[in-house]
Amino acid sequence: MNFLSLVGMEFKKIKRSKILFILLAATVILWMPSILNAHINFEMQAEGISPENNFFIQGFMGMAWFMFPASMVVGTVLISQTERTNKGILKMLALPISTAKLCLAKFAVLLGLAATQIFMMTGMYYISAVVCSKTQAYSFILPPLFVGKEIFLLFLAAIPMIAFFWMLSVCIPTPVFSIGVGLASIVPSVLVINTKIWFAYPMSYPFFVITSEYGKLAANLNTAQVELIPWIPVAVVITILCLVVSCIRFGQAERRS
Amino acid sequence: MSVFLECKKMKRTGFLPAFIGGGILAAAVPVINMAVRSEMYQTKQGNPIQILLSANWQMMAMLNVLLVVTGACLLYHIEYADNAMQKMKSLPVRESSVFTGKVILTIFMSFLVLAIEAGAIAFCSYHWFEIGNGFFSGLCKNFGYAFLLMLPCVILSVLISEACRNMWISLGIGVVCVFTATMLPTNNFALSLFPFATPFQMLAGTDMEQAVRYIYAAAVEFFAFGLAELLFIKVRRSFE
Repeated sequence: MNFLSLVGMEFKKIKRSKILFILLAATVILWMPSILNAHINFEMQAEGISPENNFFIQGFMGMAWFMFPASMVVGTVLISQTERTNKGILKMLALPISTAKLCLAKFAVLLGLAATQIFMMTGMYYISAVVCSKTQAYSFILPPLFVGKEIFLLFLAAIPMIAFFWMLSVCIPTPVFSIGVGLASIVPSVLVINTKIWFAYPMSYPFFVITSEYGKLAANLNTAQVELIPWIPVAVVITILCLVVSCIRFGQAERRS
Repeated sequence: MSVFLECKKMKRTGFLPAFIGGGILAAAVPVINMAVRSEMYQTKQGNPIQILLSANWQMMAMLNVLLVVTGACLLYHIEYADNAMQKMKSLPVRESSVFTGKVILTIFMSFLVLAIEAGAIAFCSYHWFEIGNGFFSGLCKNFGYAFLLMLPCVILSVLISEACRNMWISLGIGVVCVFTATMLPTNNFALSLFPFATPFQMLAGTDMEQAVRYIYAAAVEFFAFGLAELLFIKVRRSFE
């Protein structure tokens, strides 16, 4: 069985999970206050950022800080629990498929959920930008190329974090711990991005990338910039390590029992 | 009776260690914050409890709320995962008393968590500040207030997890609600009554009249959700 059809099968399994509603609800709630408070975008002269850039970046900062990582934790719960109820995982492990491939296919589904949420977020951004342009009589709409670049960066930065969450959910069979550790690890990322070792903490990557973009867009604001040299190798190592560990550990608890 | 039953069910689910671990984590926030940058806070004038809480309470409250949401999801997950709920329904136990048991258990656990945090605040005040007269009564008042404002959040998260068969849906709703709570403006009284937003309030720095209003509102919300649960069970049963 090739990898793509495995991924397709995993997507079929979560078809009726209603996860998309939850992801959508999160993005809708996120943009509501931005639409209602659109006028404050004009009071950002001190930072030297244009209103349309501010509108865009504030929304994405709100997402990258908590909502996006937390949604990914929910996604890991979804993927692991759909298999564990009614012992579906035992049947999957009995098939002549390598467990590592199965594990990576599930990880690909998780990446798919991440991409879906980012796309929903972008769609909601354009809707709310159009609404605000009408109400404030000022064009808030940014060129799609720029927005595309930003969301692509966000997605890339999220991959190590998602790999870490995936490793948690594979390695810790007790759901309360894998969720608890995942959610608790998101909270300190606000503090971590202000330290020098932010690159060692994958949960802070998406937020760090967005804040550094904020610093680039705002002329008078100096936020820490991305330094590619310690970051990219560390991020790659973390991702590979998490994936290898989860591939090895995948299904081990079930096989033993 | 049902509370003890719930305690027994929790035995091997990691519920107790999760709450104790979460409490210790939240308690570590002020200790680490003081250890790293104590000079920033020691120069401030005023009550040590107020200084410590205003510096750390947002993050501690966030951890508390996330802990309650996770714990509540687990409480009903063990019932729904292997259809234990159907067996519970066949017992001569009312369905609402299962809910009551779970709510009481979660309330007790959040009390434990807040007690651990109060210990950390007391330690920080002792180590970096001076413990003056009336320190402990102030500490009890602050954390008692935090406990009362935690109640609506507890009952609503248990209610959500009862309503959803699948754990990820209840967790997803909980997470979205916590996120909404962080987005709400804190200076608006009506909006800050959102059950997931009340635990972010603190007594230090609020005037007495406002605090009493919050307590009344929390009590009203608590009983309203209790009633909603009774209604919900009745309605759901008629559709099953």
